[in-house]
Amino acid sequence: MYRYDEFDHKIVTDRVNQFRGQINRRISGELSEDAFKPLRLMNGVYLQLHAYMLRVAIPYGTVSSKQMRMLAHIARKYDRGYGHFTTRQNIQYNWPALNRIPDLLEELASVEMHAIQTSGNCIRNVTADQYAGAIADEIEDPRIISEIIRQWSTFHPEFSYLPRKFKIAVTGHKNDRAAIKLHDIGIVIVRNDRGETGYEVHVGGGQGRSPFIAKKLTNFVPAEKLLAYLEAVMRVYNMLGRRDNSYKARIKILVHETGETEMRRLVDEEFKRIDTSQMLSLPEAELSRISAYFAPPNYETLPAQSKAFEAAKGSNAEFNHWVKTNLVPHKTPGYGIVNISLKPIGGIPGDATDVQMDVIADLAQRYALDEVRVTHEQNLVLPHVKLDEAKEVYDILFAHDLATPNIGLISDSIACPGLDYCNLANARSIPLAQEISTHFADLDKQYDIGELKIKISGCINACGHHHVGHIGILGVDKKGTEFYQISLGGSGDEQASLGDITGQAFTEDKVVDAVDTIVETYLNLRQPEERFLETYRRVGMSPFKEQLYAD
Amino acid sequence: MLTKTHLISNGAFIDDTWVLLDDETPLGDTPAIISMDRLKAEADALRSRNAKLGVVIRTNTLGKTKLGEDVRELTPYLDMLSTIAIDFPVYRNGRGYSDARILREEMGFEGELRAIGEVLFDQWSFMARCGFNSFEIDASIPVETFKEALSELSEAYQPAVDNQRGVLWRRHGL
Repeated sequence: MYRYDEFDHKIVTDRVNQFRGQINRRISGELSEDAFKPLRLMNGVYLQLHAYMLRVAIPYGTVSSKQMRMLAHIARKYDRGYGHFTTRQNIQYNWPALNRIPDLLEELASVEMHAIQTSGNCIRNVTADQYAGAIADEIEDPRIISEIIRQWSTFHPEFSYLPRKFKIAVTGHKNDRAAIKLHDIGIVIVRNDRGETGYEVHVGGGQGRSPFIAKKLTNFVPAEKLLAYLEAVMRVYNMLGRRDNSYKARIKILVHETGETEMRRLVDEEFKRIDTSQMLSLPEAELSRISAYFAPPNYETLPAQSKAFEAAKGSNAEFNHWVKTNLVPHKTPGYGIVNISLKPIGGIPGDATDVQMDVIADLAQRYALDEVRVTHEQNLVLPHVKLDEAKEVYDILFAHDLATPNIGLISDSIACPGLDYCNLANARSIPLAQEISTHFADLDKQYDIGELKIKISGCINACGHHHVGHIGILGVDKKGTEFYQISLGGSGDEQASLGDITGQAFTEDKVVDAVDTIVETYLNLRQPEERFLETYRRVGMSPFKEQLYAD
Repeated sequence: MLTKTHLISNGAFIDDTWVLLDDETPLGDTPAIISMDRLKAEADALRSRNAKLGVVIRTNTLGKTKLGEDVRELTPYLDMLSTIAIDFPVYRNGRGYSDARILREEMGFEGELRAIGEVLFDQWSFMARCGFNSFEIDASIPVETFKEALSELSEAYQPAVDNQRGVLWRRHGL
């Protein structure tokens, strides 16, 4: 994992002191709420329905056990004993008092964490594949370039007042778990014919009111030129992005209105200009320095098969279920990647209590080479667990309601905070996620249905990623009543697609029935081994529509 | 908009000898800042004028999408200009930061680069990093406050106009 040097410490500490001054000026009245707003936003502080909310950055979703313990401590000391892991691989606290936030940030800084650029119209926290460094067939650990991007984008003087927020995601694997095609910039690490590592850059993806899949602007940028290329994209956007209408201000609209070819030409031209000075050419020494932090940990040499693991699977059906859904093969023989579901049946997607976070920190330290990952699907990962010890890990997780065996299944839905917390929402999302997971609580039924990703947003801003849900649910407000629009066939992976709307929206009391109808229709139509998404892509909307709107 | 402003140039208050002229007022023999349209229209006559000349770049004024003027169009006139003022119609509109870097780094402009409009405490240091060396700010703000704002963040990761080598480079003595 990356560790701060004296420069990183200084930058984060300066920021805490600066924000303390800004908060004091706000409390004394010197700063109006309007002038304070962009400052607090750039430090992750939102004003929500009931209180201030603080969003803490978890760069590329990686935390150490020490950092996880701090997150637990903050939930206890400054909040109401829990935190909420988000689709941006961050954690949010819903109840901190404004005057205590500087102290909170100071505590975070002591474990090399911050809330910098987790909101505001700037380059946001960089996200990446949660299995980075642990999965087989990865070209390069995406966290290396993500850390470089984190540093380059931190307090960027030119790009801190962009037309709108800006999100960058990175994957180093052919299976995209970071939804890179739905980001303002999505980076895929690639290798060219000469065996050199470089970066494919996709620009202009996004969800919200007008969803778009990103366009690939270049097949290959070498590592030392990536920052120059990114600066070119950012500059074109900052110069030409619309500022007259916040709904049309994201780069996806610029790419759409400019056209892919012209956008590529503009970026290439800007890239040539910026690259002329070589000012942004990344030094080889810095790339090596940061890469070294992500060198593989010291794995033990183990047989690929673990006798203890096989025996436990044979004797404990529940453990066996959990292994099937929550444990993913590791690149190293004798190890596994453990997914911790934050979607207990009937629970709030992404929430974890201080006690649970402490338990996970202990597990990471004892069993997982001191690392935890946060996924954009609002779960956690212990990336390096010995198969020999998987049952011990499972037992401890189970004792703390953290062993729900449902990763990728219908009850593993993602949901935005919705009308329970958010002042943008039209409708509630969390209660709906809870109802759906309760309705499909029966595990045998869930296994029979197989992989099915439900994503729920409480408004058109799509924080719950409904556009890319296999089943997407969007809360809409019609004359003061909460309605839900359903879409089918979305996907956020390497074959990204946007869902199609089924038709007329459903009232809250009919949504679960509608989801049930969709699932039954799929079960009747599917061919052997066919997943929901494949069936939908084969048969299309009609059969689902017929069943949904039969009367 | 701010009602009364004063000018900080290279870290100290100075008397502003410049006047910002509209397109109709005749140019006198004193330093004057004019619009880009006027500069283009009257360039030949302006070349023989015997006083300093400046231009103001307006953001957020033109056309349906209100992008603003393109600083690269100043290239043929750059040698005539002692000052370029860049307007920030609201602090949230950060297009002027790119204008400034393009003028300094790509076009090699070495004269006064002045930030006007909504130019607030928390934007000054970023503006300075992008190449502004003069700031029209609220008259009630003391110069110490300005200097404090510029020193709040002591390190920067990325290169910009003020510092060609960010932390990513300086770690290696580059």
